[in-house]
Amino acid sequence: MSLLDTVVTIFRVLFAAFIPVCFLAVLVWMERRGCGFIQDRSGPNRANIFGFRLAGIVQNLADGLKLAFKEDVIPGHVKYKFYFVLAPVIVFTIAIVSFAAVPFADALILEGKTYLMQGIPTDLGILWFLALVGFSVYGIILAGWSSHNKYSMLGGLRAAAQVISYEIPLGLAVISLLIVYGTVNLTGIVQYQGQLLFGFIPMWGIVIQPLGAVIFIVAAFAEANRIPFDLVEGESEIVAGFHTEYSGMKFAMFFMGEYVAMFTSSAVIVTLFFGGFQIPWMSTAFMVEHTRLVVVLLMLLVPVFAYFFAGWIRKNNRSHFPRENDPDLVEAKWYIRVLWVAVILIELVLLFFLIAGAGGAAARILAASLQITSFLVKVTFMCFVYVWVRWTLPRFRYDQLQKLGWQTLLPLSLLNILITSAVVVALS
Amino acid sequence: MSIDIKTIERKGDTPQERVYLIEVFKGMAVTFGHFIRNFLDNSKLYIRHYPEVEPEITPRWRGRHRLTRHEDGTVKCVACFMCQTNCPAKCIMIEAGERGDDRTEKLPIRFDIDLLECIYCGYCVEACPMDAIRMDTGIYTLTGTARESFVIGLEELLRSESPFTDEEYKKGSK
Repeated sequence: MSLLDTVVTIFRVLFAAFIPVCFLAVLVWMERRGCGFIQDRSGPNRANIFGFRLAGIVQNLADGLKLAFKEDVIPGHVKYKFYFVLAPVIVFTIAIVSFAAVPFADALILEGKTYLMQGIPTDLGILWFLALVGFSVYGIILAGWSSHNKYSMLGGLRAAAQVISYEIPLGLAVISLLIVYGTVNLTGIVQYQGQLLFGFIPMWGIVIQPLGAVIFIVAAFAEANRIPFDLVEGESEIVAGFHTEYSGMKFAMFFMGEYVAMFTSSAVIVTLFFGGFQIPWMSTAFMVEHTRLVVVLLMLLVPVFAYFFAGWIRKNNRSHFPRENDPDLVEAKWYIRVLWVAVILIELVLLFFLIAGAGGAAARILAASLQITSFLVKVTFMCFVYVWVRWTLPRFRYDQLQKLGWQTLLPLSLLNILITSAVVVALS
Repeated sequence: MSIDIKTIERKGDTPQERVYLIEVFKGMAVTFGHFIRNFLDNSKLYIRHYPEVEPEITPRWRGRHRLTRHEDGTVKCVACFMCQTNCPAKCIMIEAGERGDDRTEKLPIRFDIDLLECIYCGYCVEACPMDAIRMDTGIYTLTGTARESFVIGLEELLRSESPFTDEEYKKGSK
């Protein structure tokens, strides 16, 4: 193994392990501020460090600290303490590990060697995700069972029934995709989506498999136990479902597991249906060949974006009531300064790429980092859709959920396979 | 006597609604409208910036209690125990004593209200024949570090002033 191999491997593993955890903070923040805005209130915006509130992100630190210092109770009636402790570990670990097969950039060619940009450079791809995501429900069932309590038990049972009825449409939706893409390797799937349909429409999964996309997204919502399918928690019916008996850091593990699962399934949805790391109309080869053009474009776009962002900060980061020497304005001034310093740094880095020019390793690394950015932006938007749906829809009733799964999604996904294979056979 | 029966029209049976997704997208459009409006300009949020901006308290608001006085400064309360008897939370404890002047016979020498027990129903105010106890101080936040500090006595009750005039109080509005 050369030094380069080691560096790339460490980068891949760190990215796949830490990005979901870092996104945790972003997602919790997005959920709380997002739901605040949707309900015409402001959400948490008071917690601060030296007056810096970072639009409410500091609240996450406070919450995390609180959970870390809370007493970790194991109720006296719990018979199998090992399983009780194991359950949150399963949920959290599985959620993180299932992200490992998702590519966050195109295969990177350095010194003549090809590196797949996935946490684990495996060809299993979507099969890895399907296998592991089905396993995460064991954590929930185990939690419900070992809590030794009727509500938790009901939550666990619901999780079991739900996973059976949603795993099948999920798998069948993937089958129709595999017929189109012809590979289970997620990097291959995303490379396929880099093509153009009729020469101008990006050939994303949502365009060529709209029905499959709907089925997969609905099933993925159920898989991640998010509203409208969060019967497992169902706080209005069964207290808090499977995590009724959990407190402190063990509860936090479930909580983080839920958000990481949301991140992972967003990443998979983006990879399968929204072009993954692809930037529309800009293939990897194009970016490597025309590095100078891309860099100049970026050097122009970044300050323009920063200008509007700074304007937005200035407009919104102020107190909306009479206040002497408004500290929010001072805060906003600092944010804007940091923003422009960041812009200058980005411009300097881009200048380096401008000098380095096209074709070489620098151009490939630039293309990869742009694809990582594109991937993360898309995933953030998909996570916002999760939040957005959560604060729009009510929860499905248990029988409605089963009915939707077995009587609607299952026949539809079978129909989708039929149509897809007919079209594929007719075209080939 | 017959019961009025109101037939409620059941919704959700049209094919368009049976598909779910169309209605889901409609709902999402509504929530996104709210989101983007508040996201682009957060001064449009329907919120009060409490503690900095305090709520408007009307004379009808049942806040912390106070005991009123006659014009000459003497205590109106005659220790008749009406409020204590009427109190559903049993939070008032009165001890009566000799009055000494020629107004009436009795006056309270102890008048304790346990504010942690009080449910702010206002029955004491309604029961009072002398208009001696009122809940018009406009105090709506009570904080303390010990439970005992929430049992307030005669002096505290007599010391509090109302921010409203008598006319406002009787009219019930400003």
